[in-house]
Amino acid sequence: MEVGQKMRGADAVIKVLAAHGVTTVFGYPGGAIMPIYDALYGSPVEHLLSRHEQGAAFAAVGYARASGKTGVCFATSGPGATNLITSLADALLDSVPLVAITGQVSTSVIGTDAFQEIDVLGMSLSCTKHSFMVTDINELIPTLYRAFEIAASGRPGPVLVDIPKDIQIAELEYKTPLQSVEAELQAQSCDLAAAAELIKAAKKPMLYVGGGVGMAGAVAHLRQFINQTNIPSVATLKGLGSIAHDTPGYLGMLGMHGGKAANLAVQECDLLMVVGARFDDRVTGRLASFASNAKVLHLDIDAAELGKLRQPDVAIAAELRYVLPALAEAVVDAVHIQPWLQDITDMARQYQWDYNHPGELIFAPSMLRRLANKLPEDSVVSCDVGQHQMWVAQHMWFRRPEDHLSSAGLGTMGFGLPAAIGAQVARPNATVVTVSGDGSFMMNVQELTTIKRRKLPIKILLVDNQKLGMVKQWQQLFFEERYSETDLSDNPNFVLMASAFDIPGRTITRADEVEQALDEMINTPGPFMLHVVINDAFNVWPLVPPGASNSDMMDQMEKQT
Amino acid sequence: MMMHNLEITVKQCPEVLERVLRVTRHRGFKVTQMHMNTQDDSSLAINLWVEAERAIELLSNQLDKLIDVTQCKVLPAAQLDKTVNA
Repeated sequence: MEVGQKMRGADAVIKVLAAHGVTTVFGYPGGAIMPIYDALYGSPVEHLLSRHEQGAAFAAVGYARASGKTGVCFATSGPGATNLITSLADALLDSVPLVAITGQVSTSVIGTDAFQEIDVLGMSLSCTKHSFMVTDINELIPTLYRAFEIAASGRPGPVLVDIPKDIQIAELEYKTPLQSVEAELQAQSCDLAAAAELIKAAKKPMLYVGGGVGMAGAVAHLRQFINQTNIPSVATLKGLGSIAHDTPGYLGMLGMHGGKAANLAVQECDLLMVVGARFDDRVTGRLASFASNAKVLHLDIDAAELGKLRQPDVAIAAELRYVLPALAEAVVDAVHIQPWLQDITDMARQYQWDYNHPGELIFAPSMLRRLANKLPEDSVVSCDVGQHQMWVAQHMWFRRPEDHLSSAGLGTMGFGLPAAIGAQVARPNATVVTVSGDGSFMMNVQELTTIKRRKLPIKILLVDNQKLGMVKQWQQLFFEERYSETDLSDNPNFVLMASAFDIPGRTITRADEVEQALDEMINTPGPFMLHVVINDAFNVWPLVPPGASNSDMMDQMEKQT
Repeated sequence: MMMHNLEITVKQCPEVLERVLRVTRHRGFKVTQMHMNTQDDSSLAINLWVEAERAIELLSNQLDKLIDVTQCKVLPAAQLDKTVNA
């Protein structure tokens, strides 16, 4: 047997991280994880101190999503671990590779309601892809290796490893475990042939592209497929950036706040080719009437998604990097859809966004469009959740999926600021902008300290309507204008608050200030807060009302002022 | 309401039953009968009867995804009938 170097479990944890190429971890120390923080001290692995464990884990999510690597976060037992839960759930629903390491009370007192003891393994069951509690020092290193493998393989997701304090201080001999390499999922040739037949027979095919394309590293393959077949396309919130925004036949986001052309084209198509997407209810509207005349070809790495909500005519559970080129080869020169492409072009023209918004007040959609056009090539935009999030998705455009970080599946307010921190650490040369709302921003506002501490040049674009705008919109439309607890007119002075963290900024209120203020924000070295006061009457349009078909979108109702 | 019978093989670890039962509940299936025994090779065999209006594949596919589940077999209708009659 190979004799390895003797060390504490805690030192082995850091060594395993280094062996996996982890250069930065995000976390917050506490009693039960002190040996690991001791091992971290002076080690080559950099640690970024957040001011709340949720912020640390969201930074790890932002890091992972902006870089394609696995994010790592640390927290202590009890409240440290419970504070991670929201971020783990977020990573689960958005399939983000994450390894969370939590300290736990010593094995001898587990189950005695010890100080800062909570059943973290039990809590993790519903918000992780998998989780472990290490109770044998000999299992520590193999478990950590397995955690990294599970987090990144297949459909990625968060993995939690709970490590009791006595395991952290126990001695072991460091040995690299034998690793099994899981075979990548390959498509069956008969399925590929059936899929190709569907595509060739279609007169009105439509691509419905989700976040799975970016996660699979298949953006180039998808673009090549579109280039070879000219099949028109729409994307989900997480799929944005997978297709270049000026691609012929690309109609942008579909769903509840998707573009009208995108939704109507999907409703009309005769073949829906679903790539790395999962028929989320925010995408489909009333499921029974979603693309109801279309056959469905569903491609996804996760077999459990195939037929979960919509029965496909042909389904392939395999790596998109292999399936898309194989399909493109099988159907090239056999896709003849000229009349459909003309329909798509007509729809795109008929329902294009209207940025003509006269008046003094700032119109957030046109401001965000301007911002997209100004951002340099290496840019990341994170956002929070609510009206501003939908305006970002509708009116900005992204070169790659990893340039747009949005909490899609869980819809977590407070995501944007810490995710931007993670993205800036992963891509130090990128221009990182977090677009937030006055509601969401306060949810993880403590992370301004992290920006100050690390002097991160993050740009904060705070869109302020003094409301929980999306909830207010629904109260206005569906709850008889009974505005229960959505008024935020007693917000703090945001620019003054930012200045307390050495972040300069300014407030704008008029449309004619936007152009110069965006330039100032982008060009100011270091962090900057641009606080934008917008018309609180303006809502997100169009909208598929709850329970309605995507064919029945509501249009803008309020007067432009 | 349909009755379904699943034969599940899992790796032995303390939380594995919780994982299987959590997924079963969350995906909308009611457990009506369960039998479990330890196998020699450090695995467990679970025989699970569930009741639901949903298609059984919605559960079996999700159980299959669990890292500690090595096999999840939906017993075919014929076998099901026999078991019920027995």
